[in-house]
Amino acid sequence: MLEVKNLCKYFGGIRAVDDCSFKVDKGSITALIGPNGAGKTTAFNCISRTAQPTSGEVWLDGQRIDQLRPNKITMMGLSRTFQISRNLSEMTVLENMIVQAKVEGFRGLFRPAISPEERDKAMEILDFLGITRIAYEDGSNLSYGQKKLMDFGALLMSDPKIILLDEPAGGVNMSLLEEIMTHIRRLNERGLTVLIVEHNMDLVMRLSHRVVVMAQGTVICEGSPEVVRNDPAVLEAYLGMPEDAA
Amino acid sequence: MSDTMQETSAVLEARKAYNETLRIKADQTRATWFPITLMILLMALPLLQFTGNYNYMLHMVLLTASYVAMASSWNILGGFAGYISLGHNVFFCIGGYFAGMLVARYGWSGIALAPLAGLVAALFGYAIGLITLRVRGPSFIISSIALVMIARLLFDHWKFVGGANGVTLPPTELSVQWAKLPYYYAMLFIAAFTVWCSYKIKHSKFGLGLRAISKDEIKAEAAGIDTRFYKVTAFALSAFFVGMTGAVWGEYLTYIRPSIFLVILIAAYMVLMCILGGKGTIAGPVIGAILLTAFNEFFVATMGASELNILGTGVIMAVCLMFFPHGIVGTLARKGKLPKILNWD
Repeated sequence: MLEVKNLCKYFGGIRAVDDCSFKVDKGSITALIGPNGAGKTTAFNCISRTAQPTSGEVWLDGQRIDQLRPNKITMMGLSRTFQISRNLSEMTVLENMIVQAKVEGFRGLFRPAISPEERDKAMEILDFLGITRIAYEDGSNLSYGQKKLMDFGALLMSDPKIILLDEPAGGVNMSLLEEIMTHIRRLNERGLTVLIVEHNMDLVMRLSHRVVVMAQGTVICEGSPEVVRNDPAVLEAYLGMPEDAA
Repeated sequence: MSDTMQETSAVLEARKAYNETLRIKADQTRATWFPITLMILLMALPLLQFTGNYNYMLHMVLLTASYVAMASSWNILGGFAGYISLGHNVFFCIGGYFAGMLVARYGWSGIALAPLAGLVAALFGYAIGLITLRVRGPSFIISSIALVMIARLLFDHWKFVGGANGVTLPPTELSVQWAKLPYYYAMLFIAAFTVWCSYKIKHSKFGLGLRAISKDEIKAEAAGIDTRFYKVTAFALSAFFVGMTGAVWGEYLTYIRPSIFLVILIAAYMVLMCILGGKGTIAGPVIGAILLTAFNEFFVATMGASELNILGTGVIMAVCLMFFPHGIVGTLARKGKLPKILNWD
């Protein structure tokens, strides 16, 4: 479904992402992991075009998307969240959600901002996430966990085919973590493809079907969680060289 | 056990009360009668001319209406999208010159030409927006000031439009008593139309997108908003209304000259009015325009038309902003103290 081919992103002399290639299968939950500074978020940014890749290709459903603008990519069904959730202040949670809904054509621009259908849909999503009570709260006036949930809800408004979650569990407590995992799993069962960047190994191992491990900008290993867990290259990347080999 | 029960119910009670305040805040009922009554009163104001000469009053309302139109128009880009432009008087100038030249050469009516002048200004706005809206923040402000300077140089040396001397337009044939009326009504209509449009824009998908852009452009783009198109369209729209105002204003003054349109003070007024009233709100620019014109007139009357009156206005502005950091309407709305008649959002 999503295919990344030889993706590179250089910041001057720093090769944040260096010849990175991987695939995300339709209907799967794929996790992208790696030590700090491995280039996971940069790869994410290059896929959603928040950053412009230096070279390489990104394909979504047989269409090349690395030349498109971010809004086009979102319209094609690839939605993302941000590591540090970027919600819009001075707008209610409902507006924060509906801003992500699709707008068709020039005439669509000048119709009322919130149609009854959109409101119902947003409320349904908030209900799914169990946060209807904050619908009229200001977007900046939320707890960290609520922001994460709201982000998560907002990206569902655009009817995505694939969602990219950048550390959905970063900084949230255990019970919310379980909640978020359940949501991801339920959405996946409805046919949504998921790509996650995550540091929480427990979550990654329990949730994902496939794991892609990055280190120093490139993919060093991919496979099922069991395979990755026992791969020497992965252990080396995370824990350093074994003593006898050094 | 019963203690915890009580505590829980207290929490639920507090939660309920809080939700109630949120509901009141999101109250969408409007006191539409107020702006409509205001409009009717202003429309009826010229009847006073039957009883004496109230030209000064009509002029003041006309001037205020022109500022209301310009400030509300600026608000579409500066308030909703968060792009502070100090070069909006360029579109005022384009509108004024476009209509003015046709009036001077072909004797057409500037008022009738106003929509066309607006469109021309909007086209220029679109083209200029494509270039300058690539940067935001201070860089954008500087590029907008550069725009004024370029336009000033161009119009000062462009022989076809009279250079720095400008062009004199044929004066109206109406008697002194009634000469202001066509312009009065035209300007009033443009002001009301602009405010109405800015309301419509704020409550449309487009407005929602612009507000998202002003808060976080990267997020807006990731949310599927075509930020470049939205921004440029906002720029063009906001140039449109300013251009219309320029067309009527030029004919009203009966001369067009770069030093009328292309002074930074006019652009600064649009910004100051919006900031004073509350940028991003609908009533804000209107209140700001009324207050700033009133301050100006008051200080000109008491201190004379020297540099001193500008100082007076400046001090009042500074004091206002100390008490109303988000503008008058903006601050009151945040505190939940905005009178209903001013809640136009």
